[in-house]
Amino acid sequence: MAKEIQKQTIDRKKNDDVFAGYTEEELFARVPLDSLSAEKITAPRYSYWHSVFRVFFRKRLNIVILSLLAVVVLMAYVYPALVHYDPFVNIMNSTAKHLGPKAAMEKFGYNIHNILGTGGSGESTFDAIWYGSRISISLAFISALINMVVGVLLGAVWGFSKRVDMIMTQVYSIIANVPSILVIAVLIMLVGASFWSMVFAFTITGWLFIAYFIRTQVVIIRDREYNLASKCLGTSTVKIAFRNILPFMTSIIVTLAASEIPGYISFEVFMAYIGMGLSDKSLGVIISEAQSAMVTPGWEFEFWSPVAITAIISVVLYVAGQNLGDASDPRTHM
Amino acid sequence: MAKYLFKRILYGIFSLVAVVAIVMILIYSMLDRELVFAGDANYVKQKANQKEAYKYNKWEQYGYVDYVPYGDYLKDLVKAGEIDEETRAAAASIGRKEDKDSEITKEYVAKFKEYYGSKGYTIVRLDAKLSGKKVATGGQQQLFACRDIPLRERVWKYFTGLLTFDNIHKVENISGERKLTFTWHDPAYGGYKLSPAILGNGTFHKYLLYVDDRFPYVHQHFASLNLGTSYTVNQGVDVFTTMNAPQGSYVKSMVTYPSGYTEMSADDLHTATYLEGSRDTSLVNKDRFTDDYTNVITKKNGLSKIGYSFVIGIIEVILAYLVGLPIGVLMARKKDKLADKIGTFYIVFVIAVPSLAYIFMIKAIGGKLGLPTTFDMESTNRLMYFLPIISLSLPAIGGLMRWMRRYMIDQMNSDYVKFARSGGLSEKEIFRKHIMKNASIPIIHGIPGAVLGAMVGAIVTERVYVVPGAGNLLTIAITKYDNGVIVGVTLFYATLTVTSLILGDILMSIVDPRISFTTKDR
Repeated sequence: MAKEIQKQTIDRKKNDDVFAGYTEEELFARVPLDSLSAEKITAPRYSYWHSVFRVFFRKRLNIVILSLLAVVVLMAYVYPALVHYDPFVNIMNSTAKHLGPKAAMEKFGYNIHNILGTGGSGESTFDAIWYGSRISISLAFISALINMVVGVLLGAVWGFSKRVDMIMTQVYSIIANVPSILVIAVLIMLVGASFWSMVFAFTITGWLFIAYFIRTQVVIIRDREYNLASKCLGTSTVKIAFRNILPFMTSIIVTLAASEIPGYISFEVFMAYIGMGLSDKSLGVIISEAQSAMVTPGWEFEFWSPVAITAIISVVLYVAGQNLGDASDPRTHM
Repeated sequence: MAKYLFKRILYGIFSLVAVVAIVMILIYSMLDRELVFAGDANYVKQKANQKEAYKYNKWEQYGYVDYVPYGDYLKDLVKAGEIDEETRAAAASIGRKEDKDSEITKEYVAKFKEYYGSKGYTIVRLDAKLSGKKVATGGQQQLFACRDIPLRERVWKYFTGLLTFDNIHKVENISGERKLTFTWHDPAYGGYKLSPAILGNGTFHKYLLYVDDRFPYVHQHFASLNLGTSYTVNQGVDVFTTMNAPQGSYVKSMVTYPSGYTEMSADDLHTATYLEGSRDTSLVNKDRFTDDYTNVITKKNGLSKIGYSFVIGIIEVILAYLVGLPIGVLMARKKDKLADKIGTFYIVFVIAVPSLAYIFMIKAIGGKLGLPTTFDMESTNRLMYFLPIISLSLPAIGGLMRWMRRYMIDQMNSDYVKFARSGGLSEKEIFRKHIMKNASIPIIHGIPGAVLGAMVGAIVTERVYVVPGAGNLLTIAITKYDNGVIVGVTLFYATLTVTSLILGDILMSIVDPRISFTTKDR
């Protein structure tokens, strides 16, 4: 504090030097009244997203998390495109199954495919994991995206309109009570366990829970004073929704999306574990198939590596999303 | 308040009916019925016409259709006294083709068609499949009526059959006078011990009221709940019984049967139900019983499915609240300090890592420490509860920590706290008397849900540790196409959710007098 005062006095002294030699008239001249520019409010330039990223990158942990995320995405999407992976290449070779990393390296040579050993049908665990991650991340991302878009839009309408609210709250209390496992199981039996039918099964009721969450948030801020004031001044509802409420909601939506994606990765693993998983070899399917390997001495790698990768992917996505959510809250932009 | 509650309960019941209707549409209308036969070894063996008849027969058992073979129709006519046995025998044999029917058969087939046709049934007649001059295997001619049960009738039947009341006109043929008798000395204990009981004759259950040493000590059979009959999971038994019946191995004790015969047995005479003609067909029953109330359940040493789930669940809930809340409070008090950071790291771990991953981790670590990793009903080792409880409580603790911290921090920034501080209250006092009280209101709202939710059980945890709990009932029923169980379990879960929401609201309004659900009370 004391330093600041000192600095200010130095500044004033400098100014005094600059203004030395001027007469009073020269220093203070009357300016004609300009009503137009008098209305203008000058403020430091503020760009919302610019500030978001400034705040986000201020934390050093976020840079680490982002680079980890980049590695994960690169491995899940670019690596499988570059490397040819055939899960059944060693299916007839009984000596190639359930090998630890060391044994696999000795058998197949020292390369990246073998650093995690081989699985139950002689496939490279390392390759299988990244092929699986691609499916799991895509599934979670697409499901979350659809759910978020539909859920946020309908949730906003649900929160705004009192008539819609009455009906939808009843609908919600019914649908929320139908076990989602049952809905998903029925849908999978109906349309098969392919990737897109899984997306369909995850999103058919999934949006409702997001919409309900958004609805509650909208209801909380809908009747705040500043919105009432806006309404009194004649602002249209659409403008209130986009200009007054949406900025307030951005951080909530980002935070929600951040927990949605890891949530769906977990859910996919869970569904595979109870026997209602995908027909493709996603992470969940790999984990549930390698269950017995957990307790078998020497086979641990083929079980624990997909589990570890799933955990890493989820944590990275979750932390990155949470911190982005924090950064997108304008109150942190000071 | 009473009016509001009544309205809430009414809405709750309405949504329960809707849930059941939706589930029924899902499983009866949308699912492919042929899937039922996917794992059916008998189905593959059946051929031609017999296969068709077998299919409809099974579908009726699974609850998809109403199926009436022509033969059953005739038997019903005999029962109703419209025709005699001779006519039935004559009319029952239908020809290989429709034009080969005898006169009397033609007459009754026409009646059959008219009767069921008018009720909306489809009449199916399959002509005999021949190989050469002989009937091919399974190619016998078939005649039956069938129809899909409409949704409205299905829902109506389900809800009206939910509660059944036992009365003395319940069973058809009974020897002796139909009556209820009250006794101070329960005959199941030999007839000299003081133990009140109400016995019935003509009722479905023999004992309508009795006392024994199992919780809740006084039991009744006047009204019974039928959530839905199982077909594959636990054949012929109601879902509610499946969830509540003791499991494990038999507990034998000296049992004095009604005939005076005494033997070491696990039979629980109090559960005796009527089974017509059972005494005449079985010598075992004849030796032991004096009437046809011979169908008894055996005593077992284990808990029921819900029992195991509840024991594990309730300890988990208590542990979660005892550990999670104080840590959440601590995190809020030491915001942005080390304790908060460690806590946040834990919360992120628990939320982001798939539950399956850390359950397996706990199992592996527990196994290394020498703790039992699989559940065994025969074992008396209490340690086997340890790992399932830990696996369930870790995420629950994380969730409670997260919310308690959030609510506390929200309250910390509010004006009344600043006012209290300016009034000179110590930080300790502000936290204990002001912030804690307000922050715990939303937490209290969740308590009934947590306690009732303990009965539902946990799917993954119970699978990993092989706990014979209720958590897996729904998934097993889905994979086995046991429609009765699916509907019953869903209704049970939904009732718990609806009840816990209402209880949560009541509890919240008791704790916080500012909260009122009726506009008048304000």
